[in-house]
Amino acid sequence: MNLRDQQDLWERSCTQFAEKHPERKPTFRTSSDIEVKRLYVPENVLQIEQDYFDKLGFPGEPPYTRGIQPTMYRGKFWTMRQYAGYGSAEQTNERFRYLLKQGQTGLSTAFDLPTQIGYDADHAMAAGEVGRVGVSISSLEDMEILFNQIPLDKVSTSMTINAPATVLLAMYLVVAEKQGVSWDKVAGTIQNDILKEYVARGTYIFPPKPSMRLITDTFAFCAQQVPHWNTISISGYHIREAGSTAVQELAFTLANAIAYVQAALDKGLKIDDFGPRLSFFFNAHNHFFEEISKFRAARRMWSKIMKERFGAINPKSLQLRFHTQTAGSTLTAQQPDNNVVRVTVQALAAVMGGTQSLHTNARDEALALPTEESVRIALRTQQILAYESGIADTVDPMAGSYYVEALTDAVEREAWRYIEYIDSLGGAVEAIEQGYMQQEIHQAAYETQRAIEQRDMVVVGMNQFTVDRESQPDLLRVDPNLGKLQTQRLEKLRSERPFDAWQTALDELKRGAQGQDNLMPLIINAVRTHATVGEICDTLRDVFGEYRPAIF
Amino acid sequence: MSQPIRVLVAKPGLDGHDRGALVIAQGLRDEGMEVIYTGLRQTPIEIVTTALQEDVACIGLSSLSGAHMEMFPAVVQLLRQQQAEDILVIGGGVIPEQDVEALTAAGIAKVFTPGTRIEEVAQFIRDHAHLQELAQENLPPLALGVDHIGIAVTRVDEILPFYTGLLGLSVTHQEVIADQEVKTTFLTVGGMEIELLEPLSTDGPVAKFLFKHGPGIHHMAFAVADVNAALRTAQAAGFRLIDERARPGGRGKEIAFLHPKDTSGVLIELCQRTDTEEDIGGS
Repeated sequence: MNLRDQQDLWERSCTQFAEKHPERKPTFRTSSDIEVKRLYVPENVLQIEQDYFDKLGFPGEPPYTRGIQPTMYRGKFWTMRQYAGYGSAEQTNERFRYLLKQGQTGLSTAFDLPTQIGYDADHAMAAGEVGRVGVSISSLEDMEILFNQIPLDKVSTSMTINAPATVLLAMYLVVAEKQGVSWDKVAGTIQNDILKEYVARGTYIFPPKPSMRLITDTFAFCAQQVPHWNTISISGYHIREAGSTAVQELAFTLANAIAYVQAALDKGLKIDDFGPRLSFFFNAHNHFFEEISKFRAARRMWSKIMKERFGAINPKSLQLRFHTQTAGSTLTAQQPDNNVVRVTVQALAAVMGGTQSLHTNARDEALALPTEESVRIALRTQQILAYESGIADTVDPMAGSYYVEALTDAVEREAWRYIEYIDSLGGAVEAIEQGYMQQEIHQAAYETQRAIEQRDMVVVGMNQFTVDRESQPDLLRVDPNLGKLQTQRLEKLRSERPFDAWQTALDELKRGAQGQDNLMPLIINAVRTHATVGEICDTLRDVFGEYRPAIF
Repeated sequence: MSQPIRVLVAKPGLDGHDRGALVIAQGLRDEGMEVIYTGLRQTPIEIVTTALQEDVACIGLSSLSGAHMEMFPAVVQLLRQQQAEDILVIGGGVIPEQDVEALTAAGIAKVFTPGTRIEEVAQFIRDHAHLQELAQENLPPLALGVDHIGIAVTRVDEILPFYTGLLGLSVTHQEVIADQEVKTTFLTVGGMEIELLEPLSTDGPVAKFLFKHGPGIHHMAFAVADVNAALRTAQAAGFRLIDERARPGGRGKEIAFLHPKDTSGVLIELCQRTDTEEDIGGS
């Protein structure tokens, strides 16, 4: 008897068994509504040897399903990069240095909302928001304080900044210059992913067209001048946080990536000049195996896209490198210590999925910004996984699991369907302007909410296993007077900086924006004359206008 | 309750996390409420202006950026300045338990934190936001009754036997209204009337209607006590007017029309019978 006959036989007896002893649910499904079978056997996966090479390959070789490096974490662990930033530049600098002392290996900067939307701290729209969800940076001086005593040739820095990414990158480069570090020695990432801002995160400034120009300007500039800089971090994270499924997260992220690549090619850039500096950012959510499958499918799909669709040749262009953050939206305000366990499982999936760097959320993030103690536990979680669990000792340990291979195939198949549909709409920019991605995500978010309310989906400590009295943990408070202090600092700066150089730099930037030249050198020049984030963005607003979303 | 409760879901400040706001908006719609969503980056002034324009009974504020202590009380303050404190204000988002008391003291009726069921939010709104609607229900009705139904016909003579013969109605009045280029025929039935409208030229309003739609119901007329007062009330409620003030209709009636775009495609006439008309009608 062959395997299929044997399996049929087993299934039949198993069905009788299940009639007597019912399973927990009539069907088991992943977040993306893929049905999970009772059992996976070899024939669901790899038929012949050739399949192994087509679908998996060896680590460090196409299609990179098993990882982008040959030795993965046997060489070095993933970068432990905790997202941090609140209050003033001084406070965040202190938190950065604390994290580095605790063994963190890279920095990740959270900016407050005014900075992210290109308003100085003294702008009317900034009222109540200064230093709340990240550090307040208006001026070059703020940026110098932020990286005080942090050697920029030794540490890589990721910055969650999108619409004004060019401005913050310019400030970082000028600070490096002042530290005597040449630009070919600095390493880091700007998020610079405006499309997902329109879809899910909301910190847009300019309309799509000029926004895409700013992005391709950074691609071109960094390819020449800042070779180790990741010019974009194409992010599924926020799409998932907004409520999407795993498949939607993957598909919409890759669709956005295709739009960026196409925009750069349309500008005349060469695929292998900027391709190696594209990076990604994914969410590590609850469904353990689906998440691992998602990361593996992502690598396989990207190498195909870059090779077959865009003709990339450089292996670095084909490799999908990504940062991961555990899923903030899965954390509960109830019994917050349980979140440590959620984060552990999610982080485990990220590592099994071959992430390049990882942020683990702190247990109190459903309540407020994390305290120092919570942040330390989150970092320790990664360190325990890395140093104690042994999971980092072999490459792609999940490969060959009948289940994970079948699920990787299923996630990939479903994601291609979305990408093909988005292509048929005219690409990601069109799909976003029509509200397609937004509506798909919202629908999924609403279904999740209903499932939780009807207890089809159990959230431990929230809709089951609750306690009568919740404890009140200590929370981090941001100084509400920071807005005033920042305003005074800006007043002083504006009265002291040389006026003529500042005015000339902004005039030149404006003329540049009206023309076709690369704006990065002009923005760097403006930063050198102490033009602020708000002033530079206002200059660009004058030329580009502002994005006004339709409400779907 | 006669009307759905109108709710404004608003995102004050710069926070872009609107998953919760969107889910609540849809959930309240599914609970039978009428929900308006502001979109992102609203100042307290913008929120209050929208709330007043849209005549909502409840404002739901959502913030995840920590700016709730500034934004939420500012909305309540502005409502008080506008004498609109009867609008119920509730809030939600990432809001620490420790802040709830201060927000309640500032006039936020209830703060819903993560894990709240939409049903609970809807019930709270139903329990606390009905005052204004009751007040509306106590107002006297604007329409006193259906005065007549106007029907556009190509030739009155052809259809009249149907009404007088088969249905047995009697003709009460015939009149040529010159400036409307129309001949009207009134028939009475059970306390109301049917008005048959026949065009006298090819470019009057009734002729145009016939070209576009063919014969059929042209308008519906409601009797009101005072046409001009009714027009002002309709305008204040956001309905577009065809006539800014009352004009003379047939038989000494004062009439005016509302724009059919705002009334589901039905042309609505408001009409007021005057004493002289009563005399004629009664004879």
